[in-house]
Amino acid sequence: MSTVNSLKIFNLPDLGEGLPDAEIVRWLVKEGDTVALDQPMVEMETAKAVVEVPSPFAGKITKLCGQAGDVIEVGAVLVEFDGDSDGDGSSFTLEETIVPEQPEAAIPEIAKPDATQKTSEETPVSMDSNQVFNLPDLGEGLPDAEIVRWLVAEGDVLTLDQPMVEMETAKAVVEVPSPFAAKVAKFYGQAGDVIEVGAPLVSFGEVDPSSVIDATVTKIEQDESVDKKPADAATVVGAVQVGNKLVAESVSAVIKALARKLKVDLIQVSGSGSDGEITQSDVKQAKKDGKLVGSKSATPQPIAPQPTAVATTSANDDSVNKENPLDFKASPAVRAHARRLNVALSQCVANGKKGTITKADVDAAINSVLSSPASSASTFVAVTSKAKSAPKSVVSTTVQASSEPQTVRGVRRAMAMGMSKSHASVVPTTLMEDVDITSWPKQDSLARYVRALVFASKIEPSLNCWFDGEKFERIVHPNVHVGIAIDSPDGLYVPVIHDADSKDAGQIRARVQELRQKIESKGLKQQDQQGATVTLSNFGSITGRYGTPVVSPPQVAILGTGRFRNELKLTETGIENRKMLPLSLTFDHRACTGGEAARFLAAIIEDLQKSD
Amino acid sequence: MSAITLIEAVNMAISHEMGVDEEVVVFGEDVGINGGVFRATDGLQAKYGKERVIDTPLAEAMIAGIAIGMAAQGMKPIAEIQFMGFIFPAADHIISHCARMRNRTRGRLTLPMVIRAPFGGGIHAPENHSESTEAIFAHIPGLKVVIPSNPSRAYGLMLAAIRDPDPVIFLEPKRVYRIEKHEIEDNGEDYPLGMCFVDREGTDITLISWGAMLHETKQAAEILAAEGISAEVIDVATVSPLDIDTILESVEKTGRACIVQEAPKAGAVGSEIAAEIAEKSLMSLLAPIGRVSGYDIVIPYYRLEKQYMPKIEHIIEEVKRLVEYR
Repeated sequence: MSTVNSLKIFNLPDLGEGLPDAEIVRWLVKEGDTVALDQPMVEMETAKAVVEVPSPFAGKITKLCGQAGDVIEVGAVLVEFDGDSDGDGSSFTLEETIVPEQPEAAIPEIAKPDATQKTSEETPVSMDSNQVFNLPDLGEGLPDAEIVRWLVAEGDVLTLDQPMVEMETAKAVVEVPSPFAAKVAKFYGQAGDVIEVGAPLVSFGEVDPSSVIDATVTKIEQDESVDKKPADAATVVGAVQVGNKLVAESVSAVIKALARKLKVDLIQVSGSGSDGEITQSDVKQAKKDGKLVGSKSATPQPIAPQPTAVATTSANDDSVNKENPLDFKASPAVRAHARRLNVALSQCVANGKKGTITKADVDAAINSVLSSPASSASTFVAVTSKAKSAPKSVVSTTVQASSEPQTVRGVRRAMAMGMSKSHASVVPTTLMEDVDITSWPKQDSLARYVRALVFASKIEPSLNCWFDGEKFERIVHPNVHVGIAIDSPDGLYVPVIHDADSKDAGQIRARVQELRQKIESKGLKQQDQQGATVTLSNFGSITGRYGTPVVSPPQVAILGTGRFRNELKLTETGIENRKMLPLSLTFDHRACTGGEAARFLAAIIEDLQKSD
Repeated sequence: MSAITLIEAVNMAISHEMGVDEEVVVFGEDVGINGGVFRATDGLQAKYGKERVIDTPLAEAMIAGIAIGMAAQGMKPIAEIQFMGFIFPAADHIISHCARMRNRTRGRLTLPMVIRAPFGGGIHAPENHSESTEAIFAHIPGLKVVIPSNPSRAYGLMLAAIRDPDPVIFLEPKRVYRIEKHEIEDNGEDYPLGMCFVDREGTDITLISWGAMLHETKQAAEILAAEGISAEVIDVATVSPLDIDTILESVEKTGRACIVQEAPKAGAVGSEIAAEIAEKSLMSLLAPIGRVSGYDIVIPYYRLEKQYMPKIEHIIEEVKRLVEYR
């Protein structure tokens, strides 16, 4: 892929945010330039940041593909190099730049708790040989199971489907049968150990190949010499290919075909063959016994963990965030129509025959979006679109009914993806309260809000925290990095004031100023936007009293500050005019208790009430 | 249990059934003394005698006619047409009488007969020894057209064909007559006729093939798996009547279908499968239905034959086009 004739081609890699494309801001090199390894070639704007793309080679540039303002899809050609140049790519192979097609998540890599990577490294994923049996999904979609007790011992010779071990999942104790007729070589855990799905459970030695039901192409070398009478193989013209390879018939394919023909429910059939294999006679007998598809099963359904089940599970894991097109029935024309309009089939109400989605259903999904702009983020698919003409400031308060749908990209798409992710996982709860800020001296309120968040984080650290809902892990942060939601014509930015707990009001103000300027000049870097531990949304600077701000995982809390107002308050000294600031704190109830959140909010109020 | 080739499995099945059912007789050109040009009937005359294993003149119309007459009177003839290219003189008997005797007599007479013929290319033979014309007979109501892809299926399906009360055209993919061996127990256990065999389970695409091309198809599936594309492989086995339900179930699971056949593309069995998928599973399709096939030409002589035959690379290329289709 990487070399065509004498050219070397550099395709746009994923710039770290899992987004499908990026816009060229400006070239830092010219065609004909000779560049060094890692020399910055171009500034690209991704969702939120401008990133410099370094050269993968030392060499001469023959062609730059695109100009400032062009949108380049990830994986598309960006730069061509003269292939004769010195490819000093010892630490860099082009293969690595070929980009995974599915963005895994919109959250930057650095924002993930460290533990995620650690465990995935520790988990050997695939079955290298037939001899290691990995724990399959035991039918409840759970990530792991606990060994209750082994029913066999290391060294035992097992038959196919012989129960090996009792495993406890969330709700039940399940017997796991042996996938082969083989001798047990090793256990990968003892009673009480928790085994992750996909991790090794047992290894086998001396697997009996005839018991490997699914191996349709099991090949066994045979030392038998060539056909006895090759010269007499035929008495006509022609050269029939001759092979001595011994191949195993796919017995299960035949059994399944017969069962389909006789409409026999295989689950109800017990095998009489060696190792409990179901034979054709068993199926025919089952037909006589009336064990037909749709009839009542007399015995509970056994769990059949086959190697394929493991493979399927892991394949599904890869595409967790991806819509499975086969979940929806739609004609190819309707699918193409939905793709053109960037509509997810999951957002369409199926009104066609037998639950199919029609063209009208796709159009209806579009219309419902146009009439309620607020829901647009979830209806449009986050996919690559080749439309380059989408203007920067799209959805305002009115959308013209006649206008074509516009591709949302960049910052706005990042917001859509982030919000979807939050909506899909976080359990949000919002607390609201007013704080009396009459005693404030004239000052920048933003710095006060940040200070209050820092103060509250010291009192109640469990809201200054990252939470991983899949692994059920949390990291309570010692330092406070405050994300600040900043509205801009391009969309929503959330740059970060790092180590806000060690900055004074002046430094915070300076940092906010710096961030605003960077946004204006499109100079915001990725590191400016990473690592927030808690977020502030000062929507009151425009308008709005209370709100339900959206928590951005892995963070667990966001504070919304509304517009302050004057209010007549009955105090001990009489009726007074007080300046009231409305606060809205949303927290992820998976990660924090209501009590923790209330204490956090109380601490914010305590700090904000101070006169200095 | 012995390890035997597809052609030996055909022989074993015929021999088995002749041993248990004396109504079974074998005849055709060179089937007796010579044992068949490919050795399908090797040793049968010595074992069962000239009365039951009969050499005929080079007269295919007569061979088919005799078979029909015998079958109509309760015998179970197995007639060999030496190469499928020579079957056409017998076509009048096969199409006009054999296929419709049950219907014509309102079920009073059925014809429990088998017409065997080696077919298909890739063995450097002249063109009328190399064609894949299974579609001609698949089109005729009243005929079953069965094509085994491996030794076990040759054995099981041949037994089923002999035992079937109606005529079966049994086409043997001669290129793979000896390409591999199976351990087969001569236990007389037949295989279900009229059913597809799902030889490999997959999630991304359904590869549908039969006969010799199943070997290329399975190898393509192996290579694709290494590249992360999970292909389901179906051996159609009985190309008529078609077990379309198994195919549709698979295509609805994977969303994509690619048919691999050696025959010319136009008006072929693959065309019928594609049409059925389009008719009944359209709503599940994520890509066009792909076909990897021979060309719409007379199969070339030896030197260009290789160019004609569908290859593993062709299958892989088409599968990738379909999987990447948007």
